[in-house]
Amino acid sequence: MRMLLVEDEKKVSDLVARALRAERFAVDVADDGNRGWELAEAYDYDLIILDLMLPGLGGTELLQRIRRKNQQVPILILTARDATAEKVRNFEAGADDYLTKPFAFAELVMRVKALLRRGPVARSSVLRVADLEVDRLTQQVRRGGRRIELTPKEYALLEYLASNPGRVFSRTMIIEHVWDESFEGLTNIVDVYVRHLRSKVDDPFQIKLIRTVRGVGYGLGESTDP
Amino acid sequence: MNTRSLSFRLVAWYAGVLTTVFILLGLLTFFLLRHYLEVNLLDIQARRARQIADTLVARIRRSDETKLGGEVESLYSPEANDRFIRITRSDGTVVYASGAPKDARFDPVLVPPLPLGVPAADTRKVGPIGGSLLIAARDTKASDGTIYRVEVGASGAPSEATLKHVLMMLAVGLSIAVAVAVAGGFVLVRRALVPVERIAHKAEEITQHNLSERLPVVHSGDEIERLSVSLNHMIARLEDAIHGSKQFVADASHELRTPLTVMRGELESLAQDVLLKRETRESLGSVLEEVGRLAEIVEGLFALSRLDAGEAPAECVRFDLSDLAVTTAEQMSLLAEDKRVTLTCVSSGEVPVKGDRARLKQVVVNLLDNAIKYTASGGQVSLRVRHEGAYAILDVTDTGIGIPASALPHVFKRFFRVDGSRSREQGGAGLGLSIVKSICTAHGAVLEVSSAPGRGSTFRVKQPLANDDVSAQFS
Repeated sequence: MRMLLVEDEKKVSDLVARALRAERFAVDVADDGNRGWELAEAYDYDLIILDLMLPGLGGTELLQRIRRKNQQVPILILTARDATAEKVRNFEAGADDYLTKPFAFAELVMRVKALLRRGPVARSSVLRVADLEVDRLTQQVRRGGRRIELTPKEYALLEYLASNPGRVFSRTMIIEHVWDESFEGLTNIVDVYVRHLRSKVDDPFQIKLIRTVRGVGYGLGESTDP
Repeated sequence: MNTRSLSFRLVAWYAGVLTTVFILLGLLTFFLLRHYLEVNLLDIQARRARQIADTLVARIRRSDETKLGGEVESLYSPEANDRFIRITRSDGTVVYASGAPKDARFDPVLVPPLPLGVPAADTRKVGPIGGSLLIAARDTKASDGTIYRVEVGASGAPSEATLKHVLMMLAVGLSIAVAVAVAGGFVLVRRALVPVERIAHKAEEITQHNLSERLPVVHSGDEIERLSVSLNHMIARLEDAIHGSKQFVADASHELRTPLTVMRGELESLAQDVLLKRETRESLGSVLEEVGRLAEIVEGLFALSRLDAGEAPAECVRFDLSDLAVTTAEQMSLLAEDKRVTLTCVSSGEVPVKGDRARLKQVVVNLLDNAIKYTASGGQVSLRVRHEGAYAILDVTDTGIGIPASALPHVFKRFFRVDGSRSREQGGAGLGLSIVKSICTAHGAVLEVSSAPGRGSTFRVKQPLANDDVSAQFS
């Protein structure tokens, strides 16, 4: 998979490129709009990540040009502005997703993967992490064959964590996926739910699956901590 | 009536001055007229006295003095003309004295004789004997050298009656004049001050959300036009200043986001490195938490600057506030449970409102979060929704620590904390209530707070009910 990153902030582009390369993607970086257009014209990318504030050719202009040339390629917008009107304008111009700075890199990678996965993808209805099973159809959770009763919110949280085992999700990401935007900034609610989830999923078992990475967030997977 | 109002004071001052001037003018007129009438009457008496002295008295001799009476009677008939005539010889003997006048205004018998040796004054006034009597006297020499004194008098009553009449006319006329002038002045002043009322009314409506509006200017060329123009200039300067500070906040939040992204990204990838020592990871985590808090503040400021800039809400729909409150309270119940705070939600049927559901939900979330945060375990937080008249009322009441009265006016200010150290431990950026306030304002809702320190606080959102025929009003 090859992708184009158009971002003028060197540090941001380094970070994003590094995060994506770590996921085994090939990443080309352009640091202004004109260079971005040259690359987009020359190669057939699987995904384009575009910053809106660019020197030279502006992000929105570049977005429109790419769309005129290629209807298919998924485009993810990065921006420090998040006025609703602007979002709508860019979606209309052909953006597929939108990420507002400062974003968690885990979130960026998730969204990139989600964009690449779009379309009919056969996904197993049962998520497995170690001896934990989350059945998305029946919304039943079992661990070591034993049924665990969860409230709907606890289930939603666990399913989200289990959707990408090993990855760490920030509290903001969890809020956005499990609650809604009204709860933004209310990250303590995540801690409370994780604690409740732990008491049901982890406490009765030897091996702990729910991981806390301080300052980053929570993840699911067999602990690699020493 | 407001006795301190400009119109009242102007009219009162004007009426006072007018009344004083009219009274002085009236008195002056009265006294001048009285003086004129008296002088005039005396002058007539003096001429008549001279006439009698010169034509009758001067021609006779002492032996003929008894004839004088008859001549005076035939020529002047004083009784019929209500006049007093008396002729006295220099030795004090009254030669002739007229009888009682027809109108009986004075009694001639009571008019004191002019004492001998007193030089005959030209005129004199004898006090009220059933009315004043004005008497003119003249001494003259008869043909044989005998000196006689002729006194002619007339009652002052007719002129006094005239004066009384004039006084009455003055009083009535001037009162009417004052009344008309005051009423006219009042109407004029009121009319002149109507633009002031309008300016005041409009000025009260202008807040930071509609600073682009201006006061009405009536091009009358008067001071009020100047005042409204100057006030409008002031509003324009205010608008510039507020716009500038909003722009600054927006730009600053924007500029802060990129470095925050880099910091967070670098730190996150570091923190997930499994080879790190535990202490290093803890420090990284602590730094990341602070970065998170910083990002939260930037987000909050950005959200506020957008709300202040009056950005149109993402959506404007009609929904049931009571339903929103119930679901939100449910979602937050675990948070309360975790702190062993009882969260109750009471609603009375459907309470339809119009607005951006997500933002109004944020209002409920922030208020409940705050209430739970500041209520000790065992306490209670209650959410009540109802309608009252044309308004939807949402109350969030807690039995928490409360807010001191001195801090109440400031709780909606950005970064305001009642007590820095305590609040900081509870987390939060200090922007939650400001955001609540801004969302309420954008929805035309009023946010109020009342509190008793140590017993708890109540936050109240009062929003107009959705009216099917009225589109929601957003600023």
